[in-house]
Amino acid sequence: MYWISKLIHRIRRINRRTLLFLGMLGPGIIVMVADNDAGGITTYTVTGAKYGLHLLWFLILLGPVAYYVQEMTVRLGTVTKRGHAEAIFSAFGRFWGWFSLLDLVLTDWLTMITEFVGMTAALSIFHVPPLLTVGICWLLMGAMIMSGRYWTWEKIALLFCAINLIYIPAAFMVHPSVKDIAFNSLIPHLPPGGFTNDLFFLLMANIGTTIAPWMLFFQQSSVVDKELKEKDIKIGKADTAIGAVLTVVVAMVLIIVCGTLLYGTPVDDAAAAATKIMPVNRTIGTLIAIGLFDAGLLGAVCISLASSWAFGEVFGWAHSLNKKVKEAPWFYAYYFFDLLLAGTVVLIPGAPLVLITLFVQVISTTLLPAALVFLILLLNDKKTMGRYTNTPWQNFANVSIVVVIIALSTMYGISVLFPKLLG
Amino acid sequence: MRLFKNAVESVRAINRKYAKPEIEMTPFVKGCLVALRLYLFTLIGLMIFKFIIMAKK
Repeated sequence: MYWISKLIHRIRRINRRTLLFLGMLGPGIIVMVADNDAGGITTYTVTGAKYGLHLLWFLILLGPVAYYVQEMTVRLGTVTKRGHAEAIFSAFGRFWGWFSLLDLVLTDWLTMITEFVGMTAALSIFHVPPLLTVGICWLLMGAMIMSGRYWTWEKIALLFCAINLIYIPAAFMVHPSVKDIAFNSLIPHLPPGGFTNDLFFLLMANIGTTIAPWMLFFQQSSVVDKELKEKDIKIGKADTAIGAVLTVVVAMVLIIVCGTLLYGTPVDDAAAAATKIMPVNRTIGTLIAIGLFDAGLLGAVCISLASSWAFGEVFGWAHSLNKKVKEAPWFYAYYFFDLLLAGTVVLIPGAPLVLITLFVQVISTTLLPAALVFLILLLNDKKTMGRYTNTPWQNFANVSIVVVIIALSTMYGISVLFPKLLG
Repeated sequence: MRLFKNAVESVRAINRKYAKPEIEMTPFVKGCLVALRLYLFTLIGLMIFKFIIMAKK
């Protein structure tokens, strides 16, 4: 009888630990899945349609890159109990603090416009007018955060993350060649045609959708709002790692779907890809459109929250999803202001949406190195980070990532501004 | 008007609060921040240059 009671005790202990682990999951998965926003989905569909499965290996490489960068925000948030904006103001003073905050506000607002563009385009496939789509989005985004509990918001966001996995069945439905997937995933190579300006732009766009400044602000503030402690860092890292795997899987399946069905077809964005797939396979086209709407929605909510948290931290407003609207009015006001402003721009007839999309890419990639340099310096500040300071291996990995991104971002910025300069 | 005054006062308070950087300004940190300024000024300068070229066209 003793062994039975021991077994029951063990099972209960494993259950408790599993529940605790599942309860702790959230910020890492949400930020990584939200990273596959409307712009990200467009990038993957265009990559698949243009280069088939040839760049799968590159996306796999981006998984660890995203993990290493985001994992630092988990440590920084749990140790300092400060959001990213406040951490930069405190550590580097007002000049760099304002620079980072204004950089975040500008890029977030512009990126949010692209999310609304994606959502209206997705629902237009089902003949929903843009005005109605924007209205639905405002209602959904408002309802998501009004509970006054971080936990409730997080679970709703995780549900939207699960919907983002809608692309996985689509990949099975196109019956891709497993041999081709394995080869293109494991053997790094250039697509037919070699290294061209177009390929460089798409590679940079893929990097830009995997690492963005708002993600650093979002995850750190989210970790602080969730009140994670230093003892939770391991789970926070696991949460980030699971998220990194999911983001790569979603990117890969989209490339597999579009690379199989649309290879060689000119495609401008995800909505166009869904429209072109509809006559071939209505279910897959519908799945892509639904996924695009979900990606835009999740992206817009997280980006707007990242800005609200940042403003709250710097201006000293109450800034927590655990507070009701009455208790943190400015925090919620800024969140809605951001959503209303971005949604309204999309409804303006003749708004320069293509120019805005291009501007987002240039500004984001130009300003990304600044955010990464601050992060590395903060994680090497022994006085603040104590035993959670970057290890030599973490510094090697992160500094290598930052150096490569700075070099590529500079080339990208210059090549967009002066297309003929790089040939 | 009052809202504007309050906002200006808030910004001034933030500037006072964060006047002195907390991070230890080692030569490495200083070097990184100088390099970052140069990088940003160069790219922002290029953007302004591009804007002027486009405006002239």
